[in-house]
Amino acid sequence: MMNRLKAAAKRTFGLHRPGRDLLILPDDRFLVSYPKSGNTWTRLLIANLLSPDKPADFETINRLVPDPFADTKRQFARMPRPRVIKSHLVFDPRYPRVIYMVRDPRDVVISEYHYQRKTRRIEDHYPLDEYVVRFIQGETYPENGSWGEHVAGWLVAREGNPRFHLVRYESLLADTAGELAGIAEFLGITPTPERLSEVVRLSSADRMRTLEQQQSNTSSLMKGSRKDVPFVRAAKSGGWRSELPESLVEKIETAWGPLMRHLGYELFFSQTPQGISPSDFPFGKIVLGKTSQ
Amino acid sequence: MSYRIKSLIKYALGTDVAGRSLTVRPDDTFLVSYPRSGNTWTRFLIANLLYPKEPVSFANIERLIPDCEALSSRYLKSLPSPRCIKSHEYFDHRYRKVLYIVRDPRDVALSYHSFQRKYRQIADDYPISQYVSDFVNGRLNSADWGTWAENVGSWLVREGQASFLLLRYEDMMADPAAELAKIAPFFHVEPSADLLAVAVERSSAVRMRELERKESSQWVATKNRRQDIPFVGTASSGGWKSRLPAESVAEIESAWGPLMQRLGYQLTTVAQEPVHHLVK
Repeated sequence: MMNRLKAAAKRTFGLHRPGRDLLILPDDRFLVSYPKSGNTWTRLLIANLLSPDKPADFETINRLVPDPFADTKRQFARMPRPRVIKSHLVFDPRYPRVIYMVRDPRDVVISEYHYQRKTRRIEDHYPLDEYVVRFIQGETYPENGSWGEHVAGWLVAREGNPRFHLVRYESLLADTAGELAGIAEFLGITPTPERLSEVVRLSSADRMRTLEQQQSNTSSLMKGSRKDVPFVRAAKSGGWRSELPESLVEKIETAWGPLMRHLGYELFFSQTPQGISPSDFPFGKIVLGKTSQ
Repeated sequence: MSYRIKSLIKYALGTDVAGRSLTVRPDDTFLVSYPRSGNTWTRFLIANLLYPKEPVSFANIERLIPDCEALSSRYLKSLPSPRCIKSHEYFDHRYRKVLYIVRDPRDVALSYHSFQRKYRQIADDYPISQYVSDFVNGRLNSADWGTWAENVGSWLVREGQASFLLLRYEDMMADPAAELAKIAPFFHVEPSADLLAVAVERSSAVRMRELERKESSQWVATKNRRQDIPFVGTASSGGWKSRLPAESVAEIESAWGPLMQRLGYQLTTVAQEPVHHLVK
């Protein structure tokens, strides 16, 4: 009761973080992904696109591309429109336009493992095999569901829809300027090629590492977490090949093989997971493209 | 402003409608569907199966199988575990055990049209073809739960899992006892033929219509609503064939054809494609 009263008082002044109660406006655009899938990098790229006069950093990023779980309702209400909003939530039909980032789950799990060490959710020597099992069950981020539920939920409902823009982290790494041009177009921004490469440079892994060093005590993205584990980590793809034991690769591929294949992630175990044949792969076929405009 | 103050007070007291902010328990079982897909009938079937000694009615259904989109957080919190909760939410990963009912969207659109007239959300003469267009494009109140395809599609990511049961309204119409027998294990009930027969009988459309006549003022969903349009609808499948204009059928099928087919709903206006299964 006291807590509810306190929360209600905060609400009265709009000082609470709206989370999923955020009032969504028809011209809002969302940057959505499962955690540890390149969301912050893309967020910085977009923040730099939106801020031509001053390079974005880990403090201004919350103003340029806000997070309903980190910024207050009042801040949201005062933002210039149209807004670009960061989110890790599972499928939400209220989101009008969505940039959806996806990353190879074999890399996601490793990135997540280190991030949870950084945020002290797990100990340094937490067994990786146990972590992978919990990851597959969706227990490592109980607030976001499993990787498969997250990705499939968004794809089944929106893939092929003109209001949905799918970005693979791996493609963004391979051709950052090219993918960013696609994102800009989706957001209705038309930067010059020079401006695009400027934005890419201002959002590079090296610059992000420098910003992390300068702002790790002030940015809400990393405040309070361990300093000896970096937030900006490898910034590459395929790390799982050396870091993930084969038995764990197999577990992930068994859980989500068809979905991974659909996204262009080549399976290490060419043997199809039991019970599913590649031609059965569903999600691409169920394109609900015309469900809404 | 007064609306804002009211909702703040409600929030402070915990009397706000639970909805998506419901605190989910690991042992909850959810009865989920898009609106007008046979959810209330299934609620009666399950309640009659679980409480054979208690006459299930509109007066007590909210206590037996509460509706998280009509009742408050505080009320739902007060109920003992394990709860069985009715919901229309699109995919919510926190729901562990889910019974999902799907119904032919061509029938859903018709049923929803009459329901929204009952609730005075649309005028009596609101053209059905315009209505179907709104339905397909997510312009109705029901869009809070996504479009039909978004709601159904988002839940199908669970298909094949032991804790997820997909039920077709049409199969339930054809053989309610057989479908109810599939539901029984979720509640650790041994579905004897007698028990099933009694539950089906007590949940028949005839009996539900009779209960609605007597108790409509005692149920949150029908209280203070128009009495001349019933909540319990036609309780039939395929009504769209005679009652839905051809252009509306075509609009639904061209928007959601692949998903409809995948669920076994024959298309009449667009070419059938080979069916792909989510999980074998």
